[in-house]
Amino acid sequence: MNCEVKVKDRIGTINPIFTCQPAGAQYVSIGVKDCIGLVHGGQGCVMFVRLLISQHLKESFEIASSSLHEDGAVFGACGRVEEGVDVLLARYPHLKVIPIITTCSTEVIGDDVDGVITKLEEGLLAEKYPDREVHLLAIHTPSFVGSMVSGYDVAVRDFVKKFARKGPSNGKINFITGWVNPGDVTELKSLLKEMDIDATVLFEIESFDSPIMPDGSEVSHGNTTIEDLVSTGSATHTFVLNRYEGGKAGQFLEKKFKIPSVIGPTPIGIRNTDALLKKLSEATGKPIPDSLVRKRGIALDAITDLAHMFLADKKVAIYGNADLVIGLAEFCLDLEMKPQLLLLGDDNSAYVNDPRVKALQEYVDYPMEIVTNADFWDLEDRIKNKGLELDLILGHSKGRFVSIDYDIPMVRVGFPTYDRAGLYRYPVVGYGGATWLVEQMANALFTDMEHKKRKEWLLNVW
Amino acid sequence: MPYHEFDCSKVIPERKQHAVVKGEGEDLTSCLPKGYLNTIPGSISERGCAYCGAKHVIGTPMKDVIHISHGPVGCTYDTWQTKRYISDNNNFQLKYTFATDVKEKHIVFGAESLLKQNIHEAFDAFPEIKRMTIYQTCATALIGDDINAIADEVMAERPDVDIFVCNSPGFAGPSQSGGHHKINIAWLNQKVGTVEPEITSDYVINYVGEYNIQGDQEVMVDFFRRMGIQVLSTFTGNGSYDELRGMHRAHLNVLECARSAEYICDELRVRYGIPRLDIDGFGFKALGDSLLKVGLFFGIEDRAEAIIAEETARWKPELDWYAARLKGKRVCLWPGGSKLWHWANAIQEEMGVQVVSVYTKFGHQGDMEKGIARAGVGTLAIDDPNELENQEALLKLKPDVIFTGKRPGEVAKKMRVPYLNAHAYHNGPYKGFEGWVRFARDIYNAVYSPMHQLSGVDISKDDYATDKGFVTRRMLSDASLPEAERASPLTGYTGAFDPIAALRAKTDADYPQFERKTSSQAAE
Amino acid sequence: MAGFKKEKPAARANYPKLHASDPLAGFDAATREKVSLMEDYIMKNCLWQFNSRGWDRRKQNEGILGKTAQLLVGEDVQNETPLDKCYWVDAVLLSRAFRERCAWLAGMGKDEVQALMKILHARIDWLTIDGSLNEELTVQNY
Repeated sequence: MNCEVKVKDRIGTINPIFTCQPAGAQYVSIGVKDCIGLVHGGQGCVMFVRLLISQHLKESFEIASSSLHEDGAVFGACGRVEEGVDVLLARYPHLKVIPIITTCSTEVIGDDVDGVITKLEEGLLAEKYPDREVHLLAIHTPSFVGSMVSGYDVAVRDFVKKFARKGPSNGKINFITGWVNPGDVTELKSLLKEMDIDATVLFEIESFDSPIMPDGSEVSHGNTTIEDLVSTGSATHTFVLNRYEGGKAGQFLEKKFKIPSVIGPTPIGIRNTDALLKKLSEATGKPIPDSLVRKRGIALDAITDLAHMFLADKKVAIYGNADLVIGLAEFCLDLEMKPQLLLLGDDNSAYVNDPRVKALQEYVDYPMEIVTNADFWDLEDRIKNKGLELDLILGHSKGRFVSIDYDIPMVRVGFPTYDRAGLYRYPVVGYGGATWLVEQMANALFTDMEHKKRKEWLLNVW
Repeated sequence: MPYHEFDCSKVIPERKQHAVVKGEGEDLTSCLPKGYLNTIPGSISERGCAYCGAKHVIGTPMKDVIHISHGPVGCTYDTWQTKRYISDNNNFQLKYTFATDVKEKHIVFGAESLLKQNIHEAFDAFPEIKRMTIYQTCATALIGDDINAIADEVMAERPDVDIFVCNSPGFAGPSQSGGHHKINIAWLNQKVGTVEPEITSDYVINYVGEYNIQGDQEVMVDFFRRMGIQVLSTFTGNGSYDELRGMHRAHLNVLECARSAEYICDELRVRYGIPRLDIDGFGFKALGDSLLKVGLFFGIEDRAEAIIAEETARWKPELDWYAARLKGKRVCLWPGGSKLWHWANAIQEEMGVQVVSVYTKFGHQGDMEKGIARAGVGTLAIDDPNELENQEALLKLKPDVIFTGKRPGEVAKKMRVPYLNAHAYHNGPYKGFEGWVRFARDIYNAVYSPMHQLSGVDISKDDYATDKGFVTRRMLSDASLPEAERASPLTGYTGAFDPIAALRAKTDADYPQFERKTSSQAAE
Repeated sequence: MAGFKKEKPAARANYPKLHASDPLAGFDAATREKVSLMEDYIMKNCLWQFNSRGWDRRKQNEGILGKTAQLLVGEDVQNETPLDKCYWVDAVLLSRAFRERCAWLAGMGKDEVQALMKILHARIDWLTIDGSLNEELTVQNY
C-alpha cells in the first residue's frame, strides 16, 4: 500500500492546525439570524475567536461571554449564565436565540448548563420576558474533546435538534454546507438554482460579505432563521456536504424524522461536483440542466489549459479540515498532481475508515502520507529534516511561515485565510470553485517560477 | 460625579459608574470611573483573559524561548499570530507555539506526565533553544496539575535547560490584567537574580513594559545605545530570557507600559533599590523629556540633547505638515490600557487633533486617572466599553477616526468611521521621533482616504460632481487650509517602509564609543 | 545597592491621610490660578504622581516636588541614593518647565516660591492621594 494513514508520533502540539471545539460552535452561531451565542467560560475563549473570525471575514458580529472569573471557577458559575442571558435579552430587543456554548473550564467545573436553561425558561423567561420569543439551547463543546471541526458538527446538530419539527413535507431539501465561506454559499446556491431545487441552506453566511452603506447603518449577520431551522424536520432529504461538519445533524434528522440523509460528496473539483449534482438529481427527480453542462464545460476549458502542462506531477501538501483536505486531494489527483502529505488536525477516529481515505489507500500509486491529530511540525519537520520536497502547499493562513521560510508557494484555502485579501468571497466548491482553485494554484506556481527564476521564460508564450 | 449613562446600558445600572464625561472644573477627585471590576456577563466586552495577559502580552514577546501552554490546543492556537511583537532572531516567538494538547483522558487522570513528555519533545525538536516558559490554562488549573514540580524534574534531568512556570489560568482576574500581574511577580520570584549579567557600561538600565510592537523596542534601544547606555534587558519585547534573569543588576528601570509591568518595577525598587522612572516613548516632547531624564540620571544629558536635536531637525517638519492638516479632527481612543494616557495629550499637542473619548479595555482606575488628567474638557471616558456602548458613543461623538482593535475596527468601518489599530499599529513603529510621524501619517491617510469620502455618497440620492476621475488625499486635506500652509514647501513622511531593517543593519562601529569611567570616578 | 533597606509591606501601606478637603480651596484667586497652571502642566506631562499605591504617591510627590522647590529657589540638592537621584531627575525637568511657563516665578522671592510649592504639593497630594477616587491605592501589595 502506497498511502499510509498514521497518527502523529509525538504527544504534544507544535503549531496547531486547529483551534478547539467552542470556536466551531461560535462559527455556527453567527450564521443564525437574531442569535447571539453566550460562551460559558473565560473571556479569551470569545475575544480571540471573534478576532479570528473577524480577521478571516473582515467583518464583525456578536458573540458574548459569561466572563468566568475566579469565584465562578471555585464555586460554580451557573449564575453567570443566568445573568448573561438576562443582560443579552434586555439589551438586544431583536434577540431570539441564545446558544450557551460550554468550554473546558465550565465542563471541568461541571456546571449544569442544561439545568440552568430549564431554570431560566421557567423563571426569567416566563416572568421577565413573557411576550418575547426566546430560545435557549446548550451546546456542549469542551475544548479537550475533538477540535473546532467537531465543535462545528456538534453545534449544527444541536441547533437542528433544538428547532426541527415534523410537519407536512415542505418539498425542500436540507442543505448543510459545512464550514465554508460566503463565496461557497453563493456558488452552492447558484447550483441549486440552476437545478431548480428548493433548499434550506444551513448556514446562510453569504451576507458576511456585506457593504458599507452611505448612512453607515449596515450590520453583518447570518441569515438562517428559526423558521428555516424548524422546517428542517419537514424536508424530503438532508444533504450533508461535509461528513464531519454536519454529519451528526444528518444522522439526527434521519433517526428522528426518517428524513434520508445524503452524506457527501464535498463538492470540490469537477468530479465531486458532478457527483453532488447527480445525487441531487436522483433525490429530487430534477434533471441536470444544460446551463450546468455549459458551466462545467467552461471550468474544464480553463483547467485544460493548465492541468497537464503546469500542474501534472506537482507535489502538494494539504492541511486543514478533513473534508476540505480530502476533497482537495481528490481534485489534485484528477489534475494529475501528486499530493504527498495530508494533515488532519485532530484525532477523530473515523478518519481511518472514511471511504475516501480507503480509496486513496487502494489506488494511489506513489508514496503518500495521511497524518491524523497532526500539527504544523508534521509538515515542517518533514521539509526541514526528512527530505520532503514540495512544489505547493494548500492550507490556511496559520501555516504561512512554513511557506515563507522554506520558500514553497502556497495557496490559501480553508479557515482562516487572514493573510490574503478577499478569499472569503471566492468559492472552492462547485465548478466555479474548481476553476478558481486551479487558477490560484497555477498563478502561485507562475509567481514562484519568476521569483526563483526557474523556467520563468516558459510563460513568454502560453 | 459626572457619570455618563448610556441608553443601551440603562438596564444594567452598575455600568453607569463606568463612564464619565470630564466637565469644566472637574478633576480626579470628582471624575473617575470604576475600573478593573469583574465583567458583566453577556455585556459583550472586549476583554481577554488572564492567560492571554500572561502568555500573549508579556511572556511570548521573549524571543529565544519555547513558549508552551499546558492545556487543550485552543488557547495556544487562538493567541498565536495575532500580535505584531517582532524580534531580531527571525521571529522565533511569533512563528512557533506549543500546546500540550490536553484531551479528555488527561482531564480525568491528570496531565502531568503528558506535560513532561511534551517538554522533552519540544526541546528535542528545537535543540538550539534551551529556555522555556510554561503557561497554565483554565483546564489544567482546575485539575490541579503541579507544573512547577514537573519543570523542576525536567531541569534536573536536562541541566542545560531552564524553565519558567506561569500559573495564570484564564479565569484568574477580571481581564488580561490579572495575567500581567501574575507573570510580573512570578518572573521576579522565580528568575530575577539567577544569572549574573556582564556589565559593559557605566550606565545600565532595564527597559520595562515594552513589547516591540512593529519594532518600537528596537527604535528606543537604538537611542539608548547612542547614549552609551547598556540595556541589560527588555521586559519583554525582543527580550532574551537570560538577560531578564539579570534584571537585578540594572541601575535604573525605565518603565514604558506601567499598566502591564509596573509590578516588577515596584518590586525591584523594594527588593533591590533600583529606581523606577516612568517614560513615554510616544511624542516629540514626551520622548525628548524621557531621554533627557535618563541622561540626567547618569550625568550624560548632553548625549540625549544631541539625539533630540538631530531627530527633531530631521522629523519635526514632517510632523508639522500633518499637524496642520489634522487640526481639530476628532479622535476616539480605545486602546488596551497604557496608550490611552501615552497618547491622550501628546496627539492633541503635537498633531492638533481633538481627543473626544478615552476608553480602556482592561485598565485600572490608575490608568483612567492618567488618561483623564491628560484629556481635555468634554472628553468621554469609558471603562471596559461594550459593543453597544461603543456604537452609541460613535453615533453621539461622530469622530473622524477611532484607534482600537481589529474586530471593533470592523464595527467602525461599517459605521463609516476610519480605524487605526491601537494595539498592533497600522504601519508602525509609532515610537521614536520618526515613528511619531508614521503615526501622524497613518491618521492622515485614514481620515483623508478618498475611499472614505466616496463611502458617504449615496449615488441614488446625492447630487455630486462627476467631473473628476480621481481625488487625492491632498485635495481633500488642503481644501480648507490657509494659503500659507498650502504653499509651505514641507512634505509628509519621507521615511522607509521598514525603518527597522536599517537599525538591525547597524554594528557597534556605527555607535559612538564612550570611555568608561575609572573605578574612582564611578565611586563619586 | 549598598545600604539599601527593604520596606515592610504592612508598614508602607499604613500611610496617614494629610488632607480632608481640597487644600487649594481657601486661597486667593491669584494663588489658585498659579497653582492651577502648575498642576495642569504636571497632569498633562508627568507620570510620577500616578504610582499605583498611595504610599508610593506620597513619597513620589514629596521627593519630586520637594526637590523641584529646592531647584526653583537655587538650593543645593543632595541625592544620597539612586532613588533620590530619580526624584531629582523629574524635578529638574519640572523646574525647567515651570521656569519656562510661569514667568512670574522669576519675580517671586524664595519664601514665596517655597510657599507656593507647598500649596502645589498639597494640591497634588489631594488630587492623587487624599482626595483620590482610586480604590486600589490602599491595596497592600503591588
